[in-house]
Amino acid sequence: MAQYMLLLYDDPTSWASLSPEEMQKATEKYMAWTQKSFTRDSNRLAPDLGRVIRSEGGHPRATDGPYSETKEILGGYYTIEAASYDEAVQLSLAHPHLDYGGTIEVRQVWEL
Amino acid sequence: MLLEHLFRHQSGRVVAHLTHLLGPAHLDLAEEAMQEAMLRALQTWPYQGVPDNAAAWLFRVAHNAAIDAVRRNRLLAEKTDALVGELSSSGAAASSDPDVEEQLRDDELRMIFMCCHPDISRDARVALSLKAVGGFSVREIARAFLADEAAIAQRLVRAKRQIRDGRLTLEMPGDRELKSRLDSVLDVLYFMFNEGYAAHEGGELIRQDLCLEALRLARLVASSSIAEPRADALVALMALQAARQPARVDHAGDLVVFEDQDRSRWDRQLIGLGFQYFDRSMSGEEVSEYHVQAAIAATHVRAAADRAPDWPLILHLYDQLMSLNASPVVALNRAVAVAKVHGPAMGLAAIEPLDSDPHLRDYYLLLAVRGHLLLELGRAAEAAACFRAALERPCSEPERRFLKRKLELASGSPQRR
Repeated sequence: MAQYMLLLYDDPTSWASLSPEEMQKATEKYMAWTQKSFTRDSNRLAPDLGRVIRSEGGHPRATDGPYSETKEILGGYYTIEAASYDEAVQLSLAHPHLDYGGTIEVRQVWEL
Repeated sequence: MLLEHLFRHQSGRVVAHLTHLLGPAHLDLAEEAMQEAMLRALQTWPYQGVPDNAAAWLFRVAHNAAIDAVRRNRLLAEKTDALVGELSSSGAAASSDPDVEEQLRDDELRMIFMCCHPDISRDARVALSLKAVGGFSVREIARAFLADEAAIAQRLVRAKRQIRDGRLTLEMPGDRELKSRLDSVLDVLYFMFNEGYAAHEGGELIRQDLCLEALRLARLVASSSIAEPRADALVALMALQAARQPARVDHAGDLVVFEDQDRSRWDRQLIGLGFQYFDRSMSGEEVSEYHVQAAIAATHVRAAADRAPDWPLILHLYDQLMSLNASPVVALNRAVAVAKVHGPAMGLAAIEPLDSDPHLRDYYLLLAVRGHLLLELGRAAEAAACFRAALERPCSEPERRFLKRKLELASGSPQRR
């Protein structure tokens, strides 16, 4: 079966206004999703901006990330198994991340 | 998965404890630290699993977040290190330790007493108690009271400013003030419970969360050393009313009147709790409004299966309640009892003086009761007019449907609207 990466972006400040009840419900929803049978791997990225490394005038340089001014930050990823892009997307549509204003980028892991 | 209301209950306890360590002027910081802890839980538990002691985890992480904030803000300047030390040792304390448990209960109690300080306006006391102790958000509080979110937020900002300006503390008031402060706390909890019991909001008739939270806090107050019998009476009242909640609404979400309620759906445990506290409230000479209301609730619950409750006793209790608090709502409830004992005509007579009461002008229940009594007397057309008028007043969806059914009964034909 093909594998797909789900890249989860969110605005960390969007959680600030949720109540304890809402935070708990969200936690339970995320917990349920990571236990799904089609999930092969999942990880949460540390809540920092990370570093961006690029070459400037032939010199590799590291700066604080991310490189754009977007409010959304890559927060985590999943690797899931699905029969097709359509199926991968179908499965992703149910992810709670979307309930809380997040964005999910779905990319197929290229089988060569 | 997680214990029901885990986050919300822990929120109250942790915020109370952190506020105790940081000082009431830094209530905001305490709340932020808890928010941070819950965010961490959201970010890690789905991937690492729920920790063995989830409550302790939240407690510890909130303390760490508070430490970070204290250091970042150089809070209390020279006292920063001492404060950090206190937060560290507190956060590391095993929360399964009974002493820690007791400390947390004590902190919650102090918190609610502070939230009901006379310097804080009555509206704000309720909102602040719900936010700081109950763990409800501004949006949830606004929804419960059908208020504007911004208005509730403003109330909280003002209350917190009053705490800072008045240098309010978590110290329990001295003997002289204690009685009035206890009354203030009980008043706030009673209000909270009533809002939950008869929620005016859209589709839900009952906000169970609000009721059970009020009950939980009332028990906390009643079990403390500064409680009085009327606190026990309030717990009894809440428990006995909450016990009947499962039967008040049927599977379709429609209102079920007392006579038609399936009593097997009453919560046995809550009834037991109610009677337990009712007995406790009988110690001493005190007879407060809560005592009488608890007695009325107890009389309803004691009704044997398929039998009406002891209405003459209930009427007698309402007479007693009127002597303590002659409010129009009490008078209306008394009129219902009058009708049960002496017939609908007498009930109507008891309602008459209320028709001109401005407080009840928008109260749909007054019109609904009058309509019901007129229906019993065979005066269908007049009854229909009452139900139509009642539908023009604010009420919840289940109440609306109930009124429409009564209107259909009264007009003898189905209503389109």
